[in-house]
Amino acid sequence: MFLITLRDLQWRRRRFVIAIVGTSLMFSMALTLSGLSHGFDVEAESAVRQLHASGWVVATGSTGPFLGSAPLPAALATAVGRVPGITAAGPVVYGRTAVGTGPGAKDANVFGAEPGHPGMPAVSSGRPPRTAGEVAVSTRLVGDYPLGSTIALAGRRYTVVGRVPNSTILAGVPCVFLTLSDAQRLVFGNLSTASTIAISGAPTAALPRGVVLESNHDAVADLERPLLAAHSAVAFIAVLLFLVAALIVGSMVYLSALERQRDFAVLKATGITSRSILGGLAIQSVLVSVGAAALALVLSLAIIPLFPLRVVVTNDSRILLPAVGVLVGVLASGLAIRRATAVDPALAFGGP
Amino acid sequence: MPQLSITDLTIEYSSAGYRIRPIDNLTTTADAGSLLLVLGPSGCGKTSMLSALGGILTPHSGSIRVGDLEVTQLSGRDLTAYRQRTVGIVFQAFNLVASLTAQENVTVPLRAAGVPWKTARARAAELLDRVGLADRMKHRPGALSGGQQQRVALARALALDPPLILADEPTAHLDYIQVEEVLRLIRELAAGDRVVVVSTHDQRLLPLADSVVELVPSLGVTNRPPERCRLARGEVLFRQGSWGDMIYTVESGEIEIVGELANGQEELLALKEVGSYFGEVGPLYNIPRSATARARTPAVVMAYTTRDFRHRVSPLPNGKRNAAKRRAKNPQP
Repeated sequence: MFLITLRDLQWRRRRFVIAIVGTSLMFSMALTLSGLSHGFDVEAESAVRQLHASGWVVATGSTGPFLGSAPLPAALATAVGRVPGITAAGPVVYGRTAVGTGPGAKDANVFGAEPGHPGMPAVSSGRPPRTAGEVAVSTRLVGDYPLGSTIALAGRRYTVVGRVPNSTILAGVPCVFLTLSDAQRLVFGNLSTASTIAISGAPTAALPRGVVLESNHDAVADLERPLLAAHSAVAFIAVLLFLVAALIVGSMVYLSALERQRDFAVLKATGITSRSILGGLAIQSVLVSVGAAALALVLSLAIIPLFPLRVVVTNDSRILLPAVGVLVGVLASGLAIRRATAVDPALAFGGP
Repeated sequence: MPQLSITDLTIEYSSAGYRIRPIDNLTTTADAGSLLLVLGPSGCGKTSMLSALGGILTPHSGSIRVGDLEVTQLSGRDLTAYRQRTVGIVFQAFNLVASLTAQENVTVPLRAAGVPWKTARARAAELLDRVGLADRMKHRPGALSGGQQQRVALARALALDPPLILADEPTAHLDYIQVEEVLRLIRELAAGDRVVVVSTHDQRLLPLADSVVELVPSLGVTNRPPERCRLARGEVLFRQGSWGDMIYTVESGEIEIVGELANGQEELLALKEVGSYFGEVGPLYNIPRSATARARTPAVVMAYTTRDFRHRVSPLPNGKRNAAKRRAKNPQP
């Protein structure tokens, strides 16, 4: 039966090629979306990793060091730093602001930390901000901000002294890094408050009253929380795309089964088991799906660089896609298999 | 002992809710090396009979024996094995798989029976050579003439050297030159232990046959005077599925025309009263009765041959049908 399956694929090759191309577009879009969804995770993990902290001390009741933080006194960092096991501690300020003014203004995330303390990222060029009026900007910040140029944040001007590679959070919003005092002034309007205290090491004794320790994992979860709906939407669309892919393959194989009813009747009448016939249809469907998955992997290489957001397609996803293709193919062949099962071998008799 | 033995074979199925019995208590045999011709017009049950012989249709009752094998008792894998190895079928419409070459079409049943690929290809080549298509092995059906396609179909049917070959109207779509080639091959196949059963409506095939089954009974004299029949209440004049050559008019009483449904019940189709006629379709078109006629009350009907009936009714335009009915009401003997 494999020969008949193969020959039928060759016989109706135009139709199968169209189905493979259509399905591969669906697969590549689904792959890109799953990469986008994974990109949100990678972005948050990367941002937290760049801040060089092993933990985050937050006010009790906070739901994270950044977005869900409750303000705490910056001076508490000294007390936290004395807790056994903690090797360094520095207050960190987080907030949102706009870069530029007027209609061209862009959102940005503001981080403020003390130079040489946890919470200040390494730069790829220049140096971290050390004095008031200095800023290190993400390389993803739209616009030309070379070292030494000035940038307006909420109406105040800062000099760019460093660039931090690919620093974004919250689905591509770039980050800027100020000194602690500049960030406190920008976000809280005073100099005594922080969002969290970044630490190095692991405390082996109790922290001061009123604060708790959160892990980097908690920090990542804090940054991902606003994107949960986006995650769900992306997953939903990906499922829809896989369904559309299954429909394309299913329609094509079903149409083929409709056209081949007389063939199936003859094969049954000549003693070929229904199982062989159905297996042939399923193989046909799977071959189309796997072919589409292979083409989708190539297409995704062209599509992903054009995407405006960070898309991280893992090798697992690439390996999984053909497997999903097989599953889609098997599911898609269901209707055609039902049709082929129902074919009466007596149909082989009679005129054309 | 005959190679093929059919005993009291009755095939019955439902169509649009009505019970159809194309084959009713058929008994026949065919010896090894013989060609059995099943002759009859369209709709008389030839294909149903071949389907039953091929293990595709389960008969209502009766027995089909091929050698020592009782076909009607087979099911599941045994039936599949029977279709694979015991019977080869040549279809009216050739039914080759369009995407396969002639050689690949012939290898299909061989591969299905588990014959290794190389052996299957060699056997297919040998068979195609035997039917004179050695130079057409790599051609797809679309590139072959009707006769060539039918010869490929013959080779396919012979692939596993089955003892029974069934050919359904094998010459229906062929011109006379192609017919000659195919008939010669079919006749040659009926040799050794093999039986060939050919269904056809073409009486020109009669000289080929060693035995003939006519599925339309001879209805005797078709030119005879009208005949008056008296029926008691509930008496059946003719049954659905039976053959008849007479058309009836009602002289007195009432005749009910009922359809026998597949579920065993009856459906009243028409009630024929004095002056009306019935039973004309079967004799005029040479098909079995499509309903049963039964006296609802004590009745008298007049039976006419089709020739006599045509003489009385058909020359008239539709609008004068009532006049014809009036004449039929008082027929001239």
